[in-house]
Amino acid sequence: MKKVLSILLIFLFATSMMFAGGAGESQAPKGKTVVEIWSNDRHDLEYLLAKVSEFNAKSDTIEIKHTTVVENYPNMLVMGFTSGNAPDLFYMNARGTGFDLKTFVDANMLTPYPDSLLDDPEFAKVTDARKNIVEGVNAINGVPYAIFNVRRSGTRMIYNVDLFKKAGITKFPTTLAGLVEAADKVTKVGNGQFYGIATCASAQFERWLEGIINKSGVYHYDFKKGVFNFDGYREGILLAQKFFSNGSMFPGSNTQGVDAMRAQFANGTFGIWGNASQEAGVFTDQFPIEDFEWAVAELPSLDGTVKGTVDSRPQKGLFMFSSSKNKDAAWEVVKYLNSEEVVKGYIEKGYALPLSTYMQKVVDMSGAGRLGDFAPVPYEGLYPSVPAVTVAGDNYAVSIWNAIVNGSDVDRLIADLNKRYNEALERDLKIGKVKRIVIPNFDPLNPNKEKVQFLDK
Amino acid sequence: MLSPAVLLLVITSVYPFFWLFRYVLYDYNGFVAYFTGTYNIKRAFTDAVFWKSVLHTFEYAIGKLILIIPISLGLAVFISRNLPGSNTFRIIFFLPTVISASVYSLIFTFIFAVFRGPLNTVLEAMNLITRPIDWLGDPKWVMKSIIVVAVWGGLGNYMIYFISGLSSISEEIYESCMIDGANGTQTFFKITLPMLSPILKVILLLAITTAFKDYQSILVLTNGGPDGRSHVMFSYIYNLIFAAFSSPQIGYATVLSVLAALIIGVITAGYLYLARKLDDVF
Repeated sequence: MKKVLSILLIFLFATSMMFAGGAGESQAPKGKTVVEIWSNDRHDLEYLLAKVSEFNAKSDTIEIKHTTVVENYPNMLVMGFTSGNAPDLFYMNARGTGFDLKTFVDANMLTPYPDSLLDDPEFAKVTDARKNIVEGVNAINGVPYAIFNVRRSGTRMIYNVDLFKKAGITKFPTTLAGLVEAADKVTKVGNGQFYGIATCASAQFERWLEGIINKSGVYHYDFKKGVFNFDGYREGILLAQKFFSNGSMFPGSNTQGVDAMRAQFANGTFGIWGNASQEAGVFTDQFPIEDFEWAVAELPSLDGTVKGTVDSRPQKGLFMFSSSKNKDAAWEVVKYLNSEEVVKGYIEKGYALPLSTYMQKVVDMSGAGRLGDFAPVPYEGLYPSVPAVTVAGDNYAVSIWNAIVNGSDVDRLIADLNKRYNEALERDLKIGKVKRIVIPNFDPLNPNKEKVQFLDK
Repeated sequence: MLSPAVLLLVITSVYPFFWLFRYVLYDYNGFVAYFTGTYNIKRAFTDAVFWKSVLHTFEYAIGKLILIIPISLGLAVFISRNLPGSNTFRIIFFLPTVISASVYSLIFTFIFAVFRGPLNTVLEAMNLITRPIDWLGDPKWVMKSIIVVAVWGGLGNYMIYFISGLSSISEEIYESCMIDGANGTQTFFKITLPMLSPILKVILLLAITTAFKDYQSILVLTNGGPDGRSHVMFSYIYNLIFAAFSSPQIGYATVLSVLAALIIGVITAGYLYLARKLDDVF
């Protein structure tokens, strides 16, 4: 019996080791150049693997090896590079968690995109390559290191229409004060059975509240002066504190994971949930909502008007490691994965929204389910990345969220954030770690329109 | 004879420590190091979050030790009596030890769920609470909840140590006690506990150093929240290096790691000094 158990354990161990490397394609036939790609996306794996197989079947010279690395992705990329095991290409979405483009570029880890590719007619048409170069997001000093081909929407408010009706609300509010009131009304009607609004354990402040503040023309970095300034966040924080003081925030949502909260929303236990277009698939496939009607609304703002840009993140950017020994073959793969056929199919499957003007015209969204509810709006875009300073203490999002939950003094919080962030900026400028980013004619509704200036002091 | 072991120790422990130590004077993000002079050291002594995390570490370690040692000893004594079902209970109590801390912590996040969570539902049904408790989000409750998880996850391990210690005590001694008319309490305090002293010393040393270094469960349960209330030294240091939302602060984290190592070293040395008596008991 012990022998049988030992053999079984060895078998299980060996099998688990075989799969430990993640989902990958098989080895290339002889004579073909292998281009290895890493991705941290699981939701689109089936589609991309199918497209990779099609390419491999057609190409006599190149074999794509696609590997999914889900856990600890940015660190795995770094370890891969430093140990000489990096792939040729890797996918990264705009402002990917834990990924700092400047650090990768400063360490000479990346290869810039060549002009020949940026100006390739098919590539330019599908991606609007030259129009979608954003400082700190896919470019450093104006040099692009990736081009995105799709996007997800900016944050939207997804709400339970049935609960709104029960609370007597007929229209989704357009102001944050109105949102506080609506959440309170739903909570009161719920009487402990359902609540107004929720967040989750990760990115609490950024999930939807910061978008509301940004839409109001307020940002934490003053691009005109090149300093951090949190003064404009005051009103939003004071209003958001009411979600906790009046009990309309779903109990415990602050410590539950995102999927736990999605499941709660799908169960009808709270009325309002904020997130981007990925929720279209979540509430139709992962946690399908069948028992009530749900709808999608644009984010409110502080005064009901649009004065600023809401971050809307482009996706599926392919970065090339400088260590790649097969750069020419890898650029061919980049071209293929950004071809109209691949990108069109990707969008029509409902994985993301179109990014370029051309793709917006040619895709048929009828098969993309509720993704149509998250169609792009004019004020969604991307801010240039602000200087990545080393701040002592909690970052601003965590500090602000703590103040919202605890109901603590907002003026003191803002003074502390201004002090800590600007001290860190001055210190990091002095040691040459960052440059001051200034856009003299910065327009919050067109944050990428003007040229960025990089100052040493 | 010892040279391979010493060599391994130097390669895997001493060298990495000194390799890292050179970054104490730098802002180092894993690729590029920017010289910052003594800034990291000054910052360490004025970092309120870190010093609070030191206090939380003591709170966590003391809370865990006060519960885990008596409970695991009690279970070991109970199981060593070889009553019917002892082996089954031995396996049940030991099972959490073989489960990854991340996995059982994740399970506890569901148990601790506020709205219709299993624990709150049971307590409400028993009329022990009138409204749901936010076990992981309320500063009053969060550390207690984390300690419960830590005790649940670790007691099987210490129970096994105690069982092995108990098995080394001769049955004849217990028989002599019975003949002399000693009751169970007297036997436990006058025979069992003193004779366990040498192994108790080792178990306590392991328990103390483990408790002061624990942080994996905390990362899964609360990641140091709410508002840093459950940050222990190493969860804070881990976040400085691996935080998803800011660039790594390896130089500063190194300074804090050295401070944390010093704190644990002093506690361990203090314990070993105080525990000298345990060697002399038997």
